[in-house]
Amino acid sequence: MKNYKILYLFLIAVVLTACKPEIESFTPSAGNADFTTYISLGNSLTAGYLDGDLYRSGQQVSYPNLIAGQLKTVGGGEFIQPLMYDDIGFGRRLVLNLNTVRDCFGQPVDGVAPSLGPFPLAMLDPKTPDPKNFTNSQELHGSHNLGVPGAKSFHLLVPGYGSMNPYFARFATGAQISVVEQAVSLNPTFFSLWAGNYDILTYALAGGEQDSLTSVQLFSYAYSTLLTALTANGAKGVVANIPDITNIAHFTTFPYNGLALTNEAQVAGLNAAYAPLGIVFQLGPNPFIVADPGAVGGLRQIKSTELILLSLPQDSIKCKGWGSQKPIPAHYFLDEGEIANIKEATQQLNAVIESLAASHNLAFVNVNAIFNNIRTGLVYDGARFNASYITGGINSLDGIHLTSRGNAIVANFFIEAINAKYESSIPLLNVIDYPGIIFP
Amino acid sequence: MRKFTFMILLVTTFSTAIAGGYQVGLHGIRQIGMGLVGTPLTLDASVLFYNPGGLSFIAPDYSFALGVNGIRSYTAYKKTEPSLAEALTDNPWGTPFYFYGAVRINDRFSAGLAINTPYGNSLSWGKDWIGRYLIQDLSLQAIFYQPTVSYKINDKIGVGVGLVYATGKFELNKALPVFNAGGEGSINLEGSTSKIGFNAGIMVRPIDGLNIGLDYRSAMDMETDDAVATFDVPVSLQGNFPNTNVSTKLPLPANLDFGAAYDVSDKLMVAFSLNYVFWSSYDSLIFDFEKNTPALADSRNPRLYSNKMIVRLGTEYKLTNSFFIRAGGYYDPSPVNSDYFSPETPSLNSVGLTAGITYLPVEKLAIELSFLYISGQEGERTYLPDNFSGTFKTQTYIPGFGISYNF
Repeated sequence: MKNYKILYLFLIAVVLTACKPEIESFTPSAGNADFTTYISLGNSLTAGYLDGDLYRSGQQVSYPNLIAGQLKTVGGGEFIQPLMYDDIGFGRRLVLNLNTVRDCFGQPVDGVAPSLGPFPLAMLDPKTPDPKNFTNSQELHGSHNLGVPGAKSFHLLVPGYGSMNPYFARFATGAQISVVEQAVSLNPTFFSLWAGNYDILTYALAGGEQDSLTSVQLFSYAYSTLLTALTANGAKGVVANIPDITNIAHFTTFPYNGLALTNEAQVAGLNAAYAPLGIVFQLGPNPFIVADPGAVGGLRQIKSTELILLSLPQDSIKCKGWGSQKPIPAHYFLDEGEIANIKEATQQLNAVIESLAASHNLAFVNVNAIFNNIRTGLVYDGARFNASYITGGINSLDGIHLTSRGNAIVANFFIEAINAKYESSIPLLNVIDYPGIIFP
Repeated sequence: MRKFTFMILLVTTFSTAIAGGYQVGLHGIRQIGMGLVGTPLTLDASVLFYNPGGLSFIAPDYSFALGVNGIRSYTAYKKTEPSLAEALTDNPWGTPFYFYGAVRINDRFSAGLAINTPYGNSLSWGKDWIGRYLIQDLSLQAIFYQPTVSYKINDKIGVGVGLVYATGKFELNKALPVFNAGGEGSINLEGSTSKIGFNAGIMVRPIDGLNIGLDYRSAMDMETDDAVATFDVPVSLQGNFPNTNVSTKLPLPANLDFGAAYDVSDKLMVAFSLNYVFWSSYDSLIFDFEKNTPALADSRNPRLYSNKMIVRLGTEYKLTNSFFIRAGGYYDPSPVNSDYFSPETPSLNSVGLTAGITYLPVEKLAIELSFLYISGQEGERTYLPDNFSGTFKTQTYIPGFGISYNF
C-alpha cells in the first residue's frame, strides 16, 4: 500500500508543472515631483509635427504625449492635445513611395525600376481635409500640449500670437493671449520646455540667406521670462537644449560632391567653360558649383565642409544644369561662415538654457549631446538607429522632425532626466513598440 | 506496431533545452531519478549512451529500454528598470525520447544500438515581445543513432565505443525592424544537416559493489550550407532582402564524464558524477548569406560560451525486490556569458532535484517513473550587441516514463 502513496506524490508533482516563474514587477513612483497636471511647451518638435506636416496620428506619438502616457503610472492626469481631425494635415505631408522615374520632359523612362523616395500624400491620394483643422476649436482650449510649429523662443511670449501662427490659432483661448499665458492658466504642476530650435533652424532652412539668428540677449530674456512664469506657482519641470542642427538629415543627406560626371565630353565641356575660373572637373564625383557673391564671377565649387539642404530640387540638378552649368542658389546650401554662425549660436543659446535650468532648479536634457551620439548610432533591443535620412529611423521624411520611434527615444531621455532630478521612477517607453517609417 | 507509430510521433516533436546551453540530459528514467548520474551506473541498456564501457557488465542477455519525457519549461523576463516590459515564454511541451537495445554476444562482447536526443531547444517568446528582433521562436533538435560495441577485458574492466550518426534540424523566426502598412517584417531560417561522431567509455569495478566510470562523447559541429532564409518585408525592400541560401554552424560540444557508484548495503546505492562540457566551442553563431546586399550583411553573433562542470549526486533504495525509489540532485552552472546572453537560449545557473521509482510487475519487466524539477536562478543578463537586457528566471518540470525489458 505504501507504494501507492508514492504514486500520489508523482501525481501532485505533475500538477505542479503549471507553476510559472515570477520576477518581482517594477513599481513606478513619483519621487518628489507632482505630475497631476503636466503641460508641454515648444515648437513643431513638441507639437508632434512629422513627415512635413501636423496630422493626427503624428501628434499622437509626440514626445510629450508619450511622456504623459508614462506619467499616468505615477499620478499623472489626462493629457489633452490639440489634435487635428484627420491624417491629411495642411497638405504637405510626405509619404515614402515607389516613384516613377521620369525624364526631363516629364515622361516615364521605360525599363527603369521605380525609385523609392518621399512623395506628397496630397498628390498620391487627394482628399479634402476636415475644415475644423483650420479653425479655432472650443474643445481644444484645454490642450496641455502647447507646442506650436514654427515658434521661436520669444514667440511664446507674444500676446495674440494666434493671429500670426495658424497652429496656435487652432487652440488659443483668446485673441490677445500668449502661449505662455495660456500655459500658466492651466495651473500646471509639471512642465516640459524644449524651445530655441527655431531661433536657429529658421535661419538654417533659408540657407542662411533670410531671417536671422535670435540674439543671445533676446533669447536670454525670453527663456528667463518663460521659466519664471512657468515656475511661479511652484511647478517643477524639465528643459531641453538645442541640438546642433548641422548634424540632422536635412543638412547631411546630399553630398557636396554629388555632381556625377559619366562621360569625357561632359568633363571637357565643363572644363572649357570654367577654365577662366581655374575650376577643373573630372570623371566621377565632383563638387557642385554654387553661387557665392564674394567669389570671382559670383560662383565657385562647394567645399567639403559645406552643407546642401534637403530642399534642393533634384530635377533642377538633373535637367536644368544646376550645380554644373549654373550655380546652385545660395539659399540651398550653408557656407562655412553660416555654419560657424549656427554652431556659435547653438553653443551660446545652450549655455543660456543650461544655466537657467540650474538657477530654476529644473531637470535638464542635453539633447545636443544625445544627437551627437546618434550620429554614431543607437541600439534599442536589437533595433539600430542613426542620423541618416530614411534608413536612420530617427529623422522623419522631412529630415528635421522625429519619427514616432525618434519621439520615443527623445521621450525616454526626458524621463531619464526627470527620474535623475526628482528621484522618481517613471518607467521608460519601449522604443520598439512604436512603428518606424512605413515603406510601400 | 503501435509502439513504432508512437516513436515516429516523438521524432517529429521537439525537445526543450533543460541543461546548460542547449544540451538535454534525459537519457534514462532511472538515471533521471537519481540526479542524472549516468556514467558509473550499469542499471540498464542506457549505459549505451552514458558509458559504453559498462555495457558488458549488464547481466541479462537481451536488454531493452524505451522512455519519454515531457518537458514543461517556462522562462520569465523583466526588462531592466525603469520599465514595465515583461514576458513569459509559451513553449510547447518538449518530448525527448530514447530507445536502447543491447545484446550479449558472448562472455566478453556485447553490442547495442542507442537512439536518443542529447541536444535540443524549443522555445517561443511570441511574435510581439520586446526581444523579437533577437528571437521570436526557435526549434532545434538533434537525433543521435549510436551503434555500439563493448568488450570486457576482465571481471574488473570493461571498455566500449559507439559510432554516432547525428541528424539535426533547426528553425527560427525573428522580427525585422522594417515596416509596411501591414506591420513589421520578419525572417525565417530553416536548415538540417548530419554529422558523425563517437562515444567511448571505460568502466572499472575495483571491488565488489563499486563502479567507476569514465566516458567521452565527441564534439560535433552541425554544419550546413543549404539552410534557407525567407524574408517577409515590404515590396519596396524585397531587393534588399532576397530569399537566399545560408551557411551556418551549431557546435554540439564534447562531454567528459567521470563518476562512481557504491552499494552501501544490499538495499542502498549512492553515486556521484562530474560532467565536464566543452562549451567554449560555441564562440559565435554565424549566418553567412549566399546573397548579400547593403542591407543584408552576413550576421555574426557572439556567444562566447565557457566550459562548465556539472556536479551530480544520486541515490537508490530497494524497498522490496520489485520496488525501487530514487532521489538526487545536481548543480548545472550556465555556460552562457552574462554579457552575451541571448534569449534564444536562456540558460541560467540551475539546480535540479529529482525523484524516481521503478516497479517490476514481473521479473523481466520494469516500469519506471521519474520527475525532475529544475530551477534556473534569477539573474540580470545582457546581450550587449543588441543593447538588450533584463532579469531572467526559469522553471522546468519534467515527468518521465519508461519501460525496460531484460531477458
